[in-house]
Amino acid sequence: MAEEKAGRPIPKPSVYVDTKPFWDGAKAGRLVLQYCKDTGQFQHYPRPVSIFTGSRNLEWREVSGKGTIYACTVIRVPGPGLDGRLPLSVATVQLDEGVRILGNILNKDADTVKIGQRVEVAWDRLSDDVQYPAFNVV
Amino acid sequence: MTAKKRDIVIAGYSETAIDFKTGRSAFDLGGEALAKLLAATGISKDAIDGLSVTTPLSECPNPFFAVYMTEALGLTPTWLNYGGTGGCSATGGVARAASAIRDGHCEVVVVLSADAPSTAWRANYGAYRSEFQDPPGVQGPPATFGLLMSRYNHQFGIKSEALGKIAITQREHALHNENAYAKFKTPITMADYEKSRVIADPLRLLDCVMFCDGANAFLVTTEEKARSLGITKMVFPTAYAEVTNFNGNQPLSEITETGFSAIAPKVFKQSGLTAKDIRMFQPYDDFTIAVMMKFEDFGFCKRGQGSDFTLDTDLSYKGTLPLNTGGGQISAGQPGLASGGLNLAEAVRQLFGEGGGRQVPNPKNALVTGIGVIPYARNWGTSAAMILEA
Repeated sequence: MAEEKAGRPIPKPSVYVDTKPFWDGAKAGRLVLQYCKDTGQFQHYPRPVSIFTGSRNLEWREVSGKGTIYACTVIRVPGPGLDGRLPLSVATVQLDEGVRILGNILNKDADTVKIGQRVEVAWDRLSDDVQYPAFNVV
Repeated sequence: MTAKKRDIVIAGYSETAIDFKTGRSAFDLGGEALAKLLAATGISKDAIDGLSVTTPLSECPNPFFAVYMTEALGLTPTWLNYGGTGGCSATGGVARAASAIRDGHCEVVVVLSADAPSTAWRANYGAYRSEFQDPPGVQGPPATFGLLMSRYNHQFGIKSEALGKIAITQREHALHNENAYAKFKTPITMADYEKSRVIADPLRLLDCVMFCDGANAFLVTTEEKARSLGITKMVFPTAYAEVTNFNGNQPLSEITETGFSAIAPKVFKQSGLTAKDIRMFQPYDDFTIAVMMKFEDFGFCKRGQGSDFTLDTDLSYKGTLPLNTGGGQISAGQPGLASGGLNLAEAVRQLFGEGGGRQVPNPKNALVTGIGVIPYARNWGTSAAMILEA
């Protein structure tokens, strides 16, 4: 069995809706998000219906992983799953496809991360076979 | 505009003291709030035929908590509401009670909020969080508010001394509040604020609430019924509006645009009042930035000018816009999801003229707000506002 990073739980897929395509994509280093076929818009986190129309005419599509930091903070106090990760840089990234996603910034000192910086997806390895999307400033 | 509704009244309120790790349950705290409400209003328990109960963090695994509460209190309501909008459940409970009374389901309602999360935290939000919110480390409201503050600061700029002033003013008010958490009854200075630990940049410890235990209750009925019960002190909830999941189908909307911008015009229209007419402001204060953003959303100042308005306005109980005159949740302690009732109770207390050492002169009306639930990468889930008039 894969070993967990200290204190960081490995998420279980599909506890809410079917998210297998997201996790399969992540394993292969591809960021795959939910897409509303009726309106041509992405939505994240995944939902049971399109938040635009209420229909289930949804599919999963790979996105570029490129985007811009919309908001950012540095978590400085301990909490569940944060062991060994502080100070932790967290950003809301607005992807070029027009959808926002929360992610850690991996390649910069947390204090230098700024709104407006361009980022691209990077992969945080949680175990031998589980990767989670994060971002690097480019 | 239709005539302002002045048929329904809040005819009494009660609060327990706020304390940390009391070892007590929401039932016990709720029972204390009910007993105090009966003592304050002088009515018999048998007069109560409606009950609104707030979902508590400490008892939320029980889907029948509200029904259990009727048993605990020996009540037999013909109308029972179980409010799940967190800090909006108290004002929302009063509004729902007003509708139920107007529809004839009941006549004398108790709106009860009790929670003991510092003794027993039993909530598990489940849903998407373990897959999409927890992994990047956004477990709680502070990280989400750090993100929100960073965006606000990027767009408009935050003067930290403005947030510090909110914290300091509310702490001064808490010193006069016999129910406030004892450990908060020490004045704080701007130096204390600026030295306080950063939780999630730029959010500081003194910007934040702390979970405690506590309860509050309100008596809602018609003016006529209240008078027939011998009650003479009452206030009129003349306006209420709420919105949940504001901009919920617009994932790229600015997160600094909140539900309060949508409901503020509604409560002003219902009451016939404007921001200039508001005598005191008792806003839900989980974090200082939420207070500042509400100054803007309710039109006390323009959007983006919250820092300057805060610095330029006397927010003390003697001032031009008294703010959270009981100390708010930040300085009285947050009684879990009974939180919204804390701001509401202070408004009713002030309008009853029972503010003691913190009494607002000429307490003719109050604006109260609620906030419920912190969602994924946005601001907050439910926004609620109520105007009370003497």
